[in-house]
Amino acid sequence: PADTRGAAQKRACSAPAAVTDVARLCVCDLLVAQCDANCCCDPDCSPEEFSLFTTCSVPVVVGDSHLCRQKAAVYSLDVEANPPERIFQLIDQVSPSIFCIHATNYKQALYLRCPEMPTPENFDRLLNEFGSAAFSAEPEGWNVDTEAPNPPDANETHSYQYGAPVQTEDAFLRLPSPVVSSWCSDANPAGFLVNQATKCIRSVSVERCESIQGLSMLFYINSSILAVPKSSQMVNVTVQSIVVQSLDGRRTLLEGGDVLKLPLALGELCLNIVLGVSYHITYTDTGAIVEAAAAFVLGAITKEALSVQQSFQISFTQVNTKPVPLSGNPGYVVGLPVRAGFRPQGYPFLAEFLTNKHSQLTILQSTPSQDCLAAQGARAPVLFGYNMISGCKLRITAAMKCQPLAQTLLDVLKGQSFPEYVASFGNSQAQDVLDWVPITHLHSSEQRLPNPSQSSCQVPVSLGIEVKWTKYGSLVNPQARIVNVTATLSTTTLKQLPSGRERIIPVTSSVVFTDISSPAEPGYKAWPTINIKLPFDFFYPFV
Amino acid sequence: SSQLSSLPLQILFYVNGIYYIFYFLVTLAMIVYKSQVFSYPDDFLAPDLAVLFLMAILEVPRLYLGCKGNLTEEEAPLGLSLGVTVGSVVLCVYLLAWQTYVLWADVVLNAVLLCAYGLESGLKVMAIAAFVS
Repeated sequence: PADTRGAAQKRACSAPAAVTDVARLCVCDLLVAQCDANCCCDPDCSPEEFSLFTTCSVPVVVGDSHLCRQKAAVYSLDVEANPPERIFQLIDQVSPSIFCIHATNYKQALYLRCPEMPTPENFDRLLNEFGSAAFSAEPEGWNVDTEAPNPPDANETHSYQYGAPVQTEDAFLRLPSPVVSSWCSDANPAGFLVNQATKCIRSVSVERCESIQGLSMLFYINSSILAVPKSSQMVNVTVQSIVVQSLDGRRTLLEGGDVLKLPLALGELCLNIVLGVSYHITYTDTGAIVEAAAAFVLGAITKEALSVQQSFQISFTQVNTKPVPLSGNPGYVVGLPVRAGFRPQGYPFLAEFLTNKHSQLTILQSTPSQDCLAAQGARAPVLFGYNMISGCKLRITAAMKCQPLAQTLLDVLKGQSFPEYVASFGNSQAQDVLDWVPITHLHSSEQRLPNPSQSSCQVPVSLGIEVKWTKYGSLVNPQARIVNVTATLSTTTLKQLPSGRERIIPVTSSVVFTDISSPAEPGYKAWPTINIKLPFDFFYPFV
Repeated sequence: SSQLSSLPLQILFYVNGIYYIFYFLVTLAMIVYKSQVFSYPDDFLAPDLAVLFLMAILEVPRLYLGCKGNLTEEEAPLGLSLGVTVGSVVLCVYLLAWQTYVLWADVVLNAVLLCAYGLESGLKVMAIAAFVS
């Protein structure tokens, strides 16, 4: 029998000896020294516990099923007996296949063998044999090829591909980022067309602040960027602007901010430490970089500071374009601002919408002071999918006139430029008129007094924007599409106050997103029909 | 009768030839199957394949010499064939018992082949005795 032949072969194996006796093997015995439920092979169970079982979760324990003859431990519950008892049988199982293993002379055939334990002597051999690119001593691809093996391609224009590291004179354009912990690693290359923003912590000290490379402006702009990979055309990194942050956090833009400012240790402070860099790279549509600019935020550290947080950002813009931030592609992404715009007056046939970077649907923003008149101008963008409610309180005195008050409240609720159209998709272009949904304005007034003859003062007190959206597109990847936007302005009547009295009325504005998508039905393509038609004169002589 | 050639031996040679072709193809196919399904390292696979091919190479002269000796009633080729049969028996026993994986089908095929060899050897000895005397 084959199983006894291979049983004792653990000579110098440091792993625990394998249990091969099927009578002692139990897969469901998970709890130590406790009885597992419905585990008939558990040695910790007593006959009373067996009588409580309903079935045996492991009915048969068998070795390798390829063997011709092998022992099998069969467990079953005899439910007829009272109380139910477990039956254990050790039987010889015969495999009916003619390709069953009758005998084997290869000891490791039926059992997992002990792996070779790495020691200082055999480590190199094991590394060569089993180590692959993920675990090799020398990372490949880090050496820049200076041999230039393809001379006939010297004039071939390379171009950057998406995600390719942006190359500079010596290595790559570095965007320090946290790698494993939050500490800055300077070896993170910036990928072409990959807009990134990272924050990491760098350890500093005032004594060494002039010598730490990552704190000086020069480190970020001294190596020029190659316009295309492996070319000799360089693009210098220009300093776009410098913002100086004082120790209390206040930032001021430096006039004439294209001068290089290096860290300077002055007594207990170190000035001109780089706190943030924002790269703006301009590229052409052939994948070549034409311009690179960096905007810096410089700060100062005191003697007690042991680390400083730096933030880095890189963004790519195509040359001769003005980027418009999309709120989704194509459906809206939850959390991105709802895009809106105006149709220029007097040009009903002009299919262009005025959308600039700030054309968003905005809502009144609550301020801590909660005073409507003081908070004029503070608006928050409406983010898709986020229902918002905000408000303020208006103090009305007797001296206030109705009409200017109503106008002021309207300005507070709607803002300076309330848009007329909202983009239906997150990436709707201004030229596509049909992709824009007009905002419907509704007016509801609260009539306190039944007789309208009395001079009533109607002031708007609440603006509710309801955005109805639907899921559009395929069942597995539905896109959010705005179908309808309704702005409901509610007004209320203000009674004339007796002089000297004051009244406070709350003003609210809210945004609600409602999903009106109809339930999706999976659609299947129709079976293709076989369209066979004989030619007209197929039966020519006979018809 | 004056015919000394053994008819049963000749029939056995003929059947052995056909059976051996079948045996060779089936054993080769099973070695391929074993190498796919089980763990069959190269230094265990090489000897098994070598033995099988060696046995195939030996079978051709063995059968030819036996037929020639039996039909021409000469004892020299028949004796030579008997000697080669001994080698074939050893290789057959290797495939029966000392292969890396011996499947049940292997056991059956090799047992049948061993019986055929045994019977052939007996008939050859009788034929040699008949020719010599």
